[in-house]
Amino acid sequence: MTLIPPPKAMSDDELRSEVRAWLKDNWKGLPVSQDQWTSSPERRAWMEKVVDARWAVNRWPVEWFGRGLSDPQAKIVEEEFRAARALGAGLDKSQLYAITALAFGTDVMKNHVLKGILTGNVNMCLLYSEPGAGSDLAGVRTRAVRDGDDFVVNGQKVWTSGAMTADYGMLIARTDWDVPKHNGISFFFLPMKQKGVEVRPLRQVTDESHFNEVFFTDARVPAEFLLGGLNNGWRVLQTALAYERSVMGDGARGPRRGDDKASTDMIALAREAGKLNDPLVRQDLAKVLSYRKLNALNNARAKADLATGTSSPIMSLGKLAMSRILHEEARLRTTLLGAGSMLEGDAHPRADDANFLALNAYFTSIGGGTDQIQRNIIGERVLGLPKEPEVDRTIPFKDVRAG
Amino acid sequence: MSTITAEDRAAMTESVRRLLANQNTEADVRRTMETPQGYDDALWAKLVELGVTGLTIPTDYDGLGGGPVELERIMEEAGAALLSAPLFSGAMAAALIEASGDTAAMQRLLPGIAGGRTATVAFTGDAGTWTEDGVGVSAHAHGNHWALDGVASYVQHGANADLIIVVAKTHDGFALFEVSQGAEGLTAEVLPTFDHTQRLAKLSFAHVDATKLGTAGWEAVERMRDVALVGLAGEQAGGARRVLEFTTQYAKQRIQFGRAIGSFQAIKHMAADLLMESESAISAARAAAAALAENAADKDAAVALAAFACADAFSKVTADAVQMHGGIAFTWAHPAHLYLRRARADAQLFGAASMYRERYLKALGA
Ligand SMILES: Cc1cc2nc3c(=O)[nH]c(=O)nc-3n(C[C@H](O)[C@H](O)[C@H](O)COP(=O)(O)OP(=O)(O)OC[C@H]3O[C@@H](n4cnc5c(N)ncnc54)[C@H](O)[C@@H]3O)c2cc1C
Repeated sequence: MTLIPPPKAMSDDELRSEVRAWLKDNWKGLPVSQDQWTSSPERRAWMEKVVDARWAVNRWPVEWFGRGLSDPQAKIVEEEFRAARALGAGLDKSQLYAITALAFGTDVMKNHVLKGILTGNVNMCLLYSEPGAGSDLAGVRTRAVRDGDDFVVNGQKVWTSGAMTADYGMLIARTDWDVPKHNGISFFFLPMKQKGVEVRPLRQVTDESHFNEVFFTDARVPAEFLLGGLNNGWRVLQTALAYERSVMGDGARGPRRGDDKASTDMIALAREAGKLNDPLVRQDLAKVLSYRKLNALNNARAKADLATGTSSPIMSLGKLAMSRILHEEARLRTTLLGAGSMLEGDAHPRADDANFLALNAYFTSIGGGTDQIQRNIIGERVLGLPKEPEVDRTIPFKDVRAG
Repeated sequence: MSTITAEDRAAMTESVRRLLANQNTEADVRRTMETPQGYDDALWAKLVELGVTGLTIPTDYDGLGGGPVELERIMEEAGAALLSAPLFSGAMAAALIEASGDTAAMQRLLPGIAGGRTATVAFTGDAGTWTEDGVGVSAHAHGNHWALDGVASYVQHGANADLIIVVAKTHDGFALFEVSQGAEGLTAEVLPTFDHTQRLAKLSFAHVDATKLGTAGWEAVERMRDVALVGLAGEQAGGARRVLEFTTQYAKQRIQFGRAIGSFQAIKHMAADLLMESESAISAARAAAAALAENAADKDAAVALAAFACADAFSKVTADAVQMHGGIAFTWAHPAHLYLRRARADAQLFGAASMYRERYLKALGA
């Protein structure tokens, strides 16, 4: 398969029937995959088709796998995909790595990685956090130094989800130590499969090992894989983080054991536990269910606002809301199970789900920027409250206190 | 009634603290939690040597003669150190044997427990409610003999404890029975627990020969349960306090944005709230212990209050502590989740917080 030529402009109805017909001819469903870090061969093959048929990133320009569609027309395509339960449309709204690459990458880099990212042939990870720089990402100390056509990278990242399988990592590294911290950072797509990159898995509280330490020893990244220009990494990062957080506000991993109704539907779970008639449980259930519903309503309204060109302040609430949803749902699951929640393992899938979800809720309340940082952002950038003084904002980075 | 002076109590608490600091370090906890038995024999021997295995056993039966106050204090230390030995289950068994009023059984069993014989109590079934209607074992008399049938679950150290005191239904109410580990017809299934420092078992009884203890019924179970709740409250309070200690310590050291994270009001306020939780837990646990020791008029209220306040406090402190640490506490290698797991388990033991809130109101006359 190869990329189809840019199609001519279509009316809404023409577009709808075209995508419908295409799905009818091509979409045959996909086997369920458990692996969240890499996509299955079947899925990759399907995504090749979607990308080549230009359905993956409809709003994008025709030079880059798109159709240059307006938002309403792109939504028609996405609706049809959803109706057919087909995957792959709307990546121009959700594929963080592709969006960042398109917005800030050089043509050389885009030619190299963009299609692979969209099809799932190229796996990615986020090389932001370091032992000394988590909430304070502008404090990164991993260094990148220009050497001919490359940059040479030395330092360490931590909590890097998916680093084991990644082909590239979105890296922030310090390229100037003599200017204040935000002004000396650059943003790269670093090739992960090279000698200078060592990935060491960390065991998580969930007893999984998805996140890792990553060590760079003279790792090389082509200068063409610098995004947004030298020392302009903070701005690129802000855009990438905003997308990441909005994705995290839309959803999170669900139960890892159960795959029946009561594993995802809290009402069914309460019924199964024989507690659906308990007035205390009912109050609790209503409250917890409402958190998810209200967040969905908020997100829908934010998206509608965005479509009319106004950015909505509620956009920033999603991730914080999702954190509460996940923690509270896990708490309620635990209440419903009672003593049974003390157990784990294959023979106790409900308990395992409740316990896993109670722990994994921290993925959302810590990962991608903690709840506390989200609250600061909402207070300062959305509500316009005075900023917390930042003691090291204006001094050269080499004089900044580390710990 | 306790025969231990305040000074002796303080000295004993101090020696237990020191022992646990040396022999129940985080590394020890992680090592023993991977073993089937779940606790360390050498440490157990030391606890026996110190006499704490007989802490609440009357001196007549070779114990130290302590009561709920002493138990609560030692359990604070146990909770702080995430101790996993069958110390608590043994104290519960001893309390139930005493509550049975069967002096022959006391003579026969209590010196053994004081001397380190491991013991536990089996008093709820698969439902895990720890209420009368949750009992899953029934007893039938055949002449002078009693036989037990049914299931007891969530039994602490149930697959390992040498002596098991079983609460069973009989044709006229509840009764207490003595069963030894390995008795014919008894099968112990280890339950995999989310708190890896905890050992629970499901015991199945098929015509298991048992010795009946006295004539006491559910009222004896309630007396034992009060002691258990006070001990558990101590464990929760001590655990909460320790978690807050190391979290505060971390907040003083960890630098982000050029300053200690504890200087951010978000963190400072969380820490202050958690101090309120953990200190309230300590107060509730100790007040319940004192009320129980004195058989005070408000003891039911005091015990119920401790039961839910300490469960809630330990849960909140451990959950917020993970958040306050950030990514580091999402690693297996960090101790925060060990306490979080313990808090989640403790919040279920002997009945949910909601049950004790209800009891609290009842005790207040509402
Ligand atoms: C499951 C998981 C997956 C992750 N995956 C990735 C990944 O793929 N790539 C990656 O780069 N990172 C990843 N992270 C890292 C994550 O982004 C950081 O953990 C997070 O930003 C917090 O940084 P930290 O862990 O250093 O905590 P710290 O920044 O040290 O924070 C400690 C505490 O201080 C608080 N705090 C810090 N600053 C302030 C402030 N200004 N005001 C108020 N409170 C403050 C925090 O809220 C937190 O409670 C992951 C983390 C987790 C838990």
